[in-house]
Amino acid sequence: MRIGVFVCHCGSNIAATVDCPSVAEAAKLFPDVVFATDTMYACSEPGQDGIIQAIKEHRLDGCVVASCSPRMHEPTFRRALERAGLNRYMLEMANIREHVSWIGKNKELNTGKATELVRIAAEKLRLNTPLFANQFDVTKRVLVIGGGVAGIQAALDCADAGIQVIMVERETSIGGKMAKLDKTFPTVDCSSCILGPKMVDVAQHPNITLYAASEVEEISGYVGNFDVKVRRKATYVNWASCTGCGLCMEKCPSKKSHDAFNEGVATTTAINIPFPQAIPKKAAINPEFCMKLQKGKCGVCAKVCPTKCIDFEQQDTIVSEKVGAIVAATGYDLFDWTVYGQYGAGRYPDVVTSLQYERMMNASGPTSGHIQRPSDGREPKRVVFIQCVGSRDKSVNRPYCSGFCCMYTAKQAVLTKDHIPDSDSYVFYMDIRSPGKGYDEFTRRAQEQYGVQYVRGRVSMVYPKGDVLVVRGADTLAGTQVEVEADLVVLAVGVEASKGAAHLAEKLRISYDQYGFFMESHPKLKPVETNTAGVYLAGCSQGPKDIPTSVGQGSAAAAKVLTLFAKDKLESDPQVSSVNQNRCVGCLKCTMTCPFGAIKDVKDRAGNTKAEVIETVCQGCGICTVTCPHGAIQLQHFTDNQILAEVNALCQPELEF
Amino acid sequence: MSTLEQLKEQIRKALPDLDVVIGWEQGYDAMHATPLFIREEADIDRLIWSPLCVHSLGTYLTGLTKSSKVQKVGLVVKGCDSRAIVQLTQERMIPRENVTLFGVGCSGCLSHARLEYKVEQGGHYVEDMHAITFNGDKVEVAVDGGVESFDFDTVCLEKCLTCRFPNAIATEHFAGEEVPVAPKREKAPSLEAFEKLPLDERFAFWQDQMRRCVRCYACRNTCPMCVCRDHCISTSRNPHWVSQEASTAENFMFQMIHTMHLAGRCIECGECQRACPVDLPIMLFRRTMVHAVKDTFNYVSGADPEATPPLLTFKAEEDNINERGW
Ligand SMILES: Cc1cc2nc3c(=O)[nH]c(=O)nc-3n(C[C@H](O)[C@H](O)[C@H](O)COP(=O)(O)OP(=O)(O)OC[C@H]3O[C@@H](n4cnc5c(N)ncnc54)[C@H](O)[C@@H]3O)c2cc1C
Ligand code: SF4
Ligand code: SF4
Ligand code: SF4
Ligand code: SF4
Ligand code: SF4
Repeated sequence: MRIGVFVCHCGSNIAATVDCPSVAEAAKLFPDVVFATDTMYACSEPGQDGIIQAIKEHRLDGCVVASCSPRMHEPTFRRALERAGLNRYMLEMANIREHVSWIGKNKELNTGKATELVRIAAEKLRLNTPLFANQFDVTKRVLVIGGGVAGIQAALDCADAGIQVIMVERETSIGGKMAKLDKTFPTVDCSSCILGPKMVDVAQHPNITLYAASEVEEISGYVGNFDVKVRRKATYVNWASCTGCGLCMEKCPSKKSHDAFNEGVATTTAINIPFPQAIPKKAAINPEFCMKLQKGKCGVCAKVCPTKCIDFEQQDTIVSEKVGAIVAATGYDLFDWTVYGQYGAGRYPDVVTSLQYERMMNASGPTSGHIQRPSDGREPKRVVFIQCVGSRDKSVNRPYCSGFCCMYTAKQAVLTKDHIPDSDSYVFYMDIRSPGKGYDEFTRRAQEQYGVQYVRGRVSMVYPKGDVLVVRGADTLAGTQVEVEADLVVLAVGVEASKGAAHLAEKLRISYDQYGFFMESHPKLKPVETNTAGVYLAGCSQGPKDIPTSVGQGSAAAAKVLTLFAKDKLESDPQVSSVNQNRCVGCLKCTMTCPFGAIKDVKDRAGNTKAEVIETVCQGCGICTVTCPHGAIQLQHFTDNQILAEVNALCQPELEF
Repeated sequence: MSTLEQLKEQIRKALPDLDVVIGWEQGYDAMHATPLFIREEADIDRLIWSPLCVHSLGTYLTGLTKSSKVQKVGLVVKGCDSRAIVQLTQERMIPRENVTLFGVGCSGCLSHARLEYKVEQGGHYVEDMHAITFNGDKVEVAVDGGVESFDFDTVCLEKCLTCRFPNAIATEHFAGEEVPVAPKREKAPSLEAFEKLPLDERFAFWQDQMRRCVRCYACRNTCPMCVCRDHCISTSRNPHWVSQEASTAENFMFQMIHTMHLAGRCIECGECQRACPVDLPIMLFRRTMVHAVKDTFNYVSGADPEATPPLLTFKAEEDNINERGW
């Protein structure tokens, strides 16, 4: 084999701490290396041309590019090789940027390490063989998980483009958090007036199938061909015939059920439709509070229901769907604010969360939009907002900024003044973060026009005094302690990934960060892609963001889905396992461990059992290769011999045991 | 009727439907038994059953059942031997429906290595032993015209001290009485002693031991679980994980391969160590792995025909390895 080595400077990214020319010089001595050079930017047009020219001039069979992470530029260099007439799998990359120059300062050591990485890559390349991709059909249907505003946008965009959409929503209605909001910043327009029509569109769109009260149970398959099992949870109401008339709600005697939609501000009936604009507008029974399901006595709803759709025997059902792409838009949940015991969170009824406050202000909320103290129903005259509760606080392991709390707090303070003109509002804040279009103007208006008092500093405690609460905190600008008496305290609770996000990520085989937010493929250049082909992200599932950004991401994810579906066939990755039938003893251990069911058993001509890999199903995970005791099944491009060659390149055999 | 007589009777009845039944007969001297292949009724008379019957006959199965001449095989099995069959069945390595098991209960087998060591310590040559009798807790050996007596526990196979499966399981027939399950030790004494050594001494120990391995592969060939035959990775050149060089490092690598390939599969029959011509204490590796599998997966191999060995499954989240803290 004739190998060429190209050591990239990446401007000064690599060259500052790695002596690139001497790495190239050293590479000339490696077996089969016939050409080695350093290059300023290997990925640039002249850089790629240099590679192509060298391949032709030196009749190279394969190339080692020592540069950045293959995540970044492997496709780039593979294309360059193809343009020069080589098979794209005759490329190996040595990551001397992320793995070397960016993490070590000692130039001599770095140069040594870079040289070793190049040696490893060259040794592996010597055993590379050309691989050729197969083609397979794409199922042009998309699964959208989560029916918040981000998911709704992605679903509508795809559906409008003619794609079949399956939407899976955990709650009994779509809408997410936005459906709970009163008005939205910065324009202070009514949330349900702008979201409601979109929700109706989802219900009425011929291309959208909505599974509410459902969760994704299992996902198998791969880009273009995912098999999804959806668990439709028992609602004890036959939705096919429920008309959403609400008679059952009127008559249900169990009126003390937890009202999740209203964030527990009020209680509701065991059978309920969460809010008037719910989509789908169907009743569901909360089994925890239903007397019939708990004690076997009641069944009033079944008697009053005009369409006889109550079914106490209903069980969860599983439906299977085939899709080609998936958009994960599972949004966020509020941080558990009760850990802030010093704020009386969860103990004093008049300390509420921001989302509870939205429900209290909302005209269709339990108080019909009248702001009242939960303790005595009195209208509060002085409201104190505490920001960053569960945000930017290392002590509760939430070091990040939740992004939109500054804005909604300003909004809520403004709305408080609108609702109760003779009220005063105080906001305890750390910084005001309002970088969006028209946002800073908005927070200023809150202060200047609405007279909201902003106090910069952390609150140390909230304690009751008579029938008011005293908020004690620091005013760091004035350098003093302040105490404000409040009728109502609103905590701007920070956000975290929605419950179970990490479990879902495991099913989707995508990465997630330590807080459960899904990881995008590249923080700047691939913000809605994931590292799993065919799985895209939208909205707060990827990190906190406000409605405009969530909607924008929903559309972006839809664009990615449509791009994927623009092709009728996709190329399968040939880096899959393959069985050497001469070696296979037919023990079928590999079939037992393959997580994708990609191996079947076949009989050879003599009737012996052998394993065979289904190429389009194999994901190249390599689990079978470590299962097979004697290496009969090998992952192409990562064979045992190649890995061994890499190890041997690093651990030279003189190191006697 | 004695266990042996019952056993013979059972085999006699079953033999017409079987191509061969494998048991033990007296070997080339008084001290040894050797496998007996019963094909005709007359062969049955040569069958013996005693603590000399050390061999785990399941080792023959994977080879035999592949051959076209043999369809139905009978096998006499002790408790430990039967675990090998259970394990092979789980792994679908043998057509279990073609195998008939004749189980017995076992009170322990003789360790020739330990006995010979004792006899030599007593100033005799092992070649001069000419008779052996098993008398309850005692073993009496006629040597040099006299008789040496030993406690059985001091000359039995080490596995018998920790044995929890003295009675053959999942068999078609069972001869004699069941033997009470009464392990004398929790852990093999040799492993207990070895684990007390500091790490550097353990390393030095293995360097010393592994230097002696002659790479005869007897340990592998006798292992009932080693079914790869010509394709064993330790002799393969593609992939070329180990070279044929008999250096300490390569020998050690081979033993590691064997140990890793037996993770969750090794049924502690001890045949590998028994077969080793240079008496390498390789059961230390196997037992360490057996304990690791037990601790990690709460799994005992070859105990339940319905179970799936833990390393032959795929689970994103292991029950006993809580990586994510959910
Ligand atoms: C108090 C408050 C006030 C706010 N005010 C404003 C404002 O005025 N203006 C503004 O721009 N932004 C505001 N926001 C931010 C706004 O709520 C978010 O930007 C927006 O809701 C994000 O939408 P989403 O679709 O990403 O997530 P979500 O609204 O959280 O929707 C996610 C959906 O996915 C569902 N789901 C979750 N997990 C699963 C699962 N495993 N399977 C199936 N379904 C699942 C959920 O039930 C939910 O329906 C406010 C936030 C708060 C807390
Ligand atoms: S594990 Fe290996 S030997 Fe067994 S069936 Fe699979 S490829 Fe063949
Ligand atoms: S590499 Fe092996 S275990 Fe992984 S998907 Fe492919 S066949 Fe299955
Ligand atoms: S490794 Fe040794 S003890 Fe374990 S099953 Fe094989 S021969 Fe028996
Ligand atoms: S050591 Fe491993 S590869 Fe070799 S025969 Fe045993 S199980 Fe097979
Ligand atoms: S039986 Fe003993 S000498 Fe032979 S290969 Fe095994 S350990 Fe080495």
